[in-house]
Amino acid sequence: MAGDDEKRKAAQAASGEPRKLDRREVLKGLSTVPALGLFAYAWQTQRAFQQARVEEIAAAAQAPADLQEINIALLGAGAQGQVLTDAMLRIPGLRFRAVCDVWTEYNQKRVVNSLKRFKHEVNGYEDYREMLDKEKDLDAVIIATPDFWHAQHAIDCLKAGKHVYCEKEMSNTLEGARSIVAAQRETGKLLQVGHQRRSNPRYLHCYNKILQDAKMLGRIVTVYGQWNRGVTPDLGAPDRYVIPEARLKQYGFKDMHQFRNWRWYKGKGGGPIVDLGSHQIDIYSWFLGTNPSHVMASGGNLYYDPKTHEWYDTVMAVYDYDTPLGPAKGYYSTQTTNGSQGYFENFMGDQGTLLISESEVNFAGQLYRDPNAPAWDEWIQKGYVSAPKEQEAKAKSDSGAIADVRESAAPDQHTVPVTLRDPYHQPHLQNFFDAVRGTAKLNCPAEEAYQTAVAVLKVNEAIEAKSRLAFKPEDFKV
Amino acid sequence: MEEAKLSRSAMIAITVLRVIVGWHFLYEGIAKLTSSSWSAAGYMRASRGPFAAFFKWIASNPQMLDNTNLITMYGLTIVGVLLMLGLFTRLAAIAGIGFILLFYLCNPPFVGYFYSIPTEGSYLIVNKNLVELCALAVIFLTRSGLFAGLDRILHGLFFRRTRLATA
Repeated sequence: MAGDDEKRKAAQAASGEPRKLDRREVLKGLSTVPALGLFAYAWQTQRAFQQARVEEIAAAAQAPADLQEINIALLGAGAQGQVLTDAMLRIPGLRFRAVCDVWTEYNQKRVVNSLKRFKHEVNGYEDYREMLDKEKDLDAVIIATPDFWHAQHAIDCLKAGKHVYCEKEMSNTLEGARSIVAAQRETGKLLQVGHQRRSNPRYLHCYNKILQDAKMLGRIVTVYGQWNRGVTPDLGAPDRYVIPEARLKQYGFKDMHQFRNWRWYKGKGGGPIVDLGSHQIDIYSWFLGTNPSHVMASGGNLYYDPKTHEWYDTVMAVYDYDTPLGPAKGYYSTQTTNGSQGYFENFMGDQGTLLISESEVNFAGQLYRDPNAPAWDEWIQKGYVSAPKEQEAKAKSDSGAIADVRESAAPDQHTVPVTLRDPYHQPHLQNFFDAVRGTAKLNCPAEEAYQTAVAVLKVNEAIEAKSRLAFKPEDFKV
Repeated sequence: MEEAKLSRSAMIAITVLRVIVGWHFLYEGIAKLTSSSWSAAGYMRASRGPFAAFFKWIASNPQMLDNTNLITMYGLTIVGVLLMLGLFTRLAAIAGIGFILLFYLCNPPFVGYFYSIPTEGSYLIVNKNLVELCALAVIFLTRSGLFAGLDRILHGLFFRRTRLATA
């Protein structure tokens, strides 16, 4: 380019005229603008592709002609509300009508916008009473608010004639949980509590086939379960999303820190034993076929500052059970250290062990048959479990090469042949909506969830009491 | 003007480079802006190297993190548009270098660091961030916007005005 331009400029300078912005200059100046047009075209193509995928999911979730459409509202649009929403968007026959969250600046806006992308025309509300007043067509409300709000929210929704899916823990107090059961009975509406493993096909398979039908574990004597999580910084909020103090107080929070981290505060949540342990201790009672008779527990704030984390970050609890087959003990531990080994439940019987987790990644379902137990060939043939994995180490232990009095021969290793490809909460929500349509029975109705609340809330009590506490059979009755 | 020292074909190649880098910046920005949940927190929490403490501090402070997210999303988008148009090219190139330098320093591929998140290539000190950073340096130094870009028009207008003012 140098030659022509330089000559022209030299000529301009020599004549003393201002440099002219001729057509040629302008064209050169605009020469890369079409690239922006090309970008816009490519981006639109990409967006259309993404939108088509969203619509594909929405279309799959559309009610077939013979399926009654259910009008629903989400009450509590935080992290858990989002998880439930994502799962519900995949369930056919649901029509979102409203989203209610007091964090209108962030949570409510986010979920309303994401639902609109899926062609659900929803109204946003700050006050759930206004929502119940205005949204007359609602069939069901999905509650994912902080635990201390569950009782009032669930009761008011039930009394307004709505079916309710309420996240666990049913309530942070037994009085609250009892009042929910009473309201459910009084109104006759459905109430499902979000212990979602109760509808997980792998857990159902293990309960129905492996434990009830085949009794493959023999007599279960001990249970061990855990949920390890890494330490994380407290949740915060940037200034532009901070809720005004008056509104925080109106809804029971002293400040934004408490609003974001309510699970750690007494009177609001129950700490990790409730947030995490409740899911798994629920399975102990379900699989053992009985509620615990005693609990002892130790816990404390080993990592966090008790001023901002009133509940215990580390809890170890031991339950006693009188099962129909004899006494059993269940140990449960939740640690806030790091997330290695994740979460699982491990049921050990005199004939075998079942290691199970909701996670599809770790410990999804393994079975171990004790070498002295009856053969499992029949159950393998029926598809209850996989054929045993061939193990080199086991061959050695069976031949006596490494086994001595201290060591038992290695058990056979099998897997549970059931996986869940959908979001973890989807089957439980599906079960709720099937029940609303009258085609299924709830997998975790109010009374059932109440018993779990009794067993779990007692752990915090036992830590405070520093002693072994007894349950009376009537404690589990409402 | 440095461009005078380069051949026309070299300047065309550098313009193509500028548009391509601009495209990448623009889409990185737009993809983040249109994602409902994008945040730089994860990238900064995994930070290694001499500035790790700084990046982790930003990630742990909600207000700083929010500002960082906004600056990153809008900054990448604006730099991308400017580079593609060749408008304020040198300013855009410097801003782009600034962004990439921060990305590079946050998780540098230095000897002895073992990252658990898989990357699409194999890097030793030099990674694609550094390559893009150098590309922006070339764009900055050769003033590619004056060759083919809106800077050429602005430059023409600017010169005409000053000449007229002093005439």
